Amino acid sequence: MKTIELQINGSTHEVSIEADETLLQVLRNRLDLTGTKKGCDSGGCGCCSVQVDGKVVYSCMMYAAGAAGKAITTIEGLGGGGTALDPLQQAFIDAGAVQCGYCTCGMIMNASELLATTKNPGEDQIRHAIAGNLCRCTGYTKIVDAIKLAAARTGG
Amino acid sequence: MALNLDDYYLPASLQEATELLQRYGAGAMVVAGGTFVHGLEVRGLLTETVALVDISRLGLRGIGASSKGGVSIQALTTLAEVAAAPLIGKNPALAAINDALHYPPRQILNAATVGGCVAAAAPLYDLPAAFLALDGQVQTSLAGRQRSIPLDEFFVGLFESALQRGEIITAIDIPAPAARTASAFLKLETNANDLSLLNVAVRLTLDKAGNCADCRIILGGGVGETYVRATGAEAALRGQAAGEAGFAAAAAAVVDDFEAVEDHRASAAYRRHIAQVYVRRTLATALARLG
Repeated sequence: MKTIELQINGSTHEVSIEADETLLQVLRNRLDLTGTKKGCDSGGCGCCSVQVDGKVVYSCMMYAAGAAGKAITTIEGLGGGGTALDPLQQAFIDAGAVQCGYCTCGMIMNASELLATTKNPGEDQIRHAIAGNLCRCTGYTKIVDAIKLAAARTGG
Repeated sequence: MALNLDDYYLPASLQEATELLQRYGAGAMVVAGGTFVHGLEVRGLLTETVALVDISRLGLRGIGASSKGGVSIQALTTLAEVAAAPLIGKNPALAAINDALHYPPRQILNAATVGGCVAAAAPLYDLPAAFLALDGQVQTSLAGRQRSIPLDEFFVGLFESALQRGEIITAIDIPAPAARTASAFLKLETNANDLSLLNVAVRLTLDKAGNCADCRIILGGGVGETYVRATGAEAALRGQAAGEAGFAAAAAAVVDDFEAVEDHRASAAYRRHIAQVYVRRTLATALARLG
């Protein structure tokens, strides 16, 4: 075991980990941040997506020890970290973009980087951006609608 | 990831990284973006690995013009940073690089590094095929000594490169392209989550008459243990008019340049067919970029 410091959603967490633990494992199993989901655990499905220094990554492919000192944002940190929802979260509800919900947090963490870097993205841009996130329920149409809705609400 | 690690190291200097790699010998592996560790683990290749040496804090990040008019991409530059680089994006000669970066998902682009992508020595990877077509050179450091390895001598076998133990890639250099040069990369995959069936990267240089003065045709994906330089296809095109007939000649010749893999994704016969189609298309894409 070794002790590292992780900066998550603006707070510092001191956590004891095994050297081979992924960021995903530490978030879920040691810090109870279970919004980040475990899916394929091999960098294929996207439901473990979090942001590290503002860039969306697969947390199942990043070692927790390697994430020390970086600014990690999980779904729990969106919307200011309290009960208020991020515009993307509200748009996913309003557009009916959530069915089983397992992909949703990863989808939103991905879309959050897209909207931070691209104003008013077109449908092709949105679909290309979320290509690394699988949804097996919605057929993606309502997810794309939700991201468009959030973009429009946040000023294009 | 279920490795039996003693420790995960974050060295602050190349020297410290080298010392760790020398201390652990075969028990240590370098990681940067870390996106291929799982791929190696599931293939059972990391059973002896007890230390990961994460070099992501060493700097070595950014893209610049090299002294002779080429481009130097430092090893820890992420794929996303390459895709956003104006030095590369605006140059038709280097367009194969951006073509290759069209395929990975955002999460991989943000994490994976150029050096890691090359060091993996996996012919299924897209970007190194583009670098090969552009005559890239691998710059390395080993215990303070630097050397330059041409990419076509770098890939020795599947997951095997010319790197010595403890040697770390510091940059990929792309030499200045000749005038009237364009490049392109094309990938065939059955879905975005699967490995490629076949990749083709080409570089095409025209003379004043519009003939092919020089070319590179590189095959990747299901073509065996390493990338293949399609020298027969190149010879069929060199000196010919750059157009449909010349590209068809190159396509016809490419089937003798490689041994197509036969697996559950595709038959060898299908891959041979697709290689012809994709060589023709990739060359046509490069030609179109020369206006």
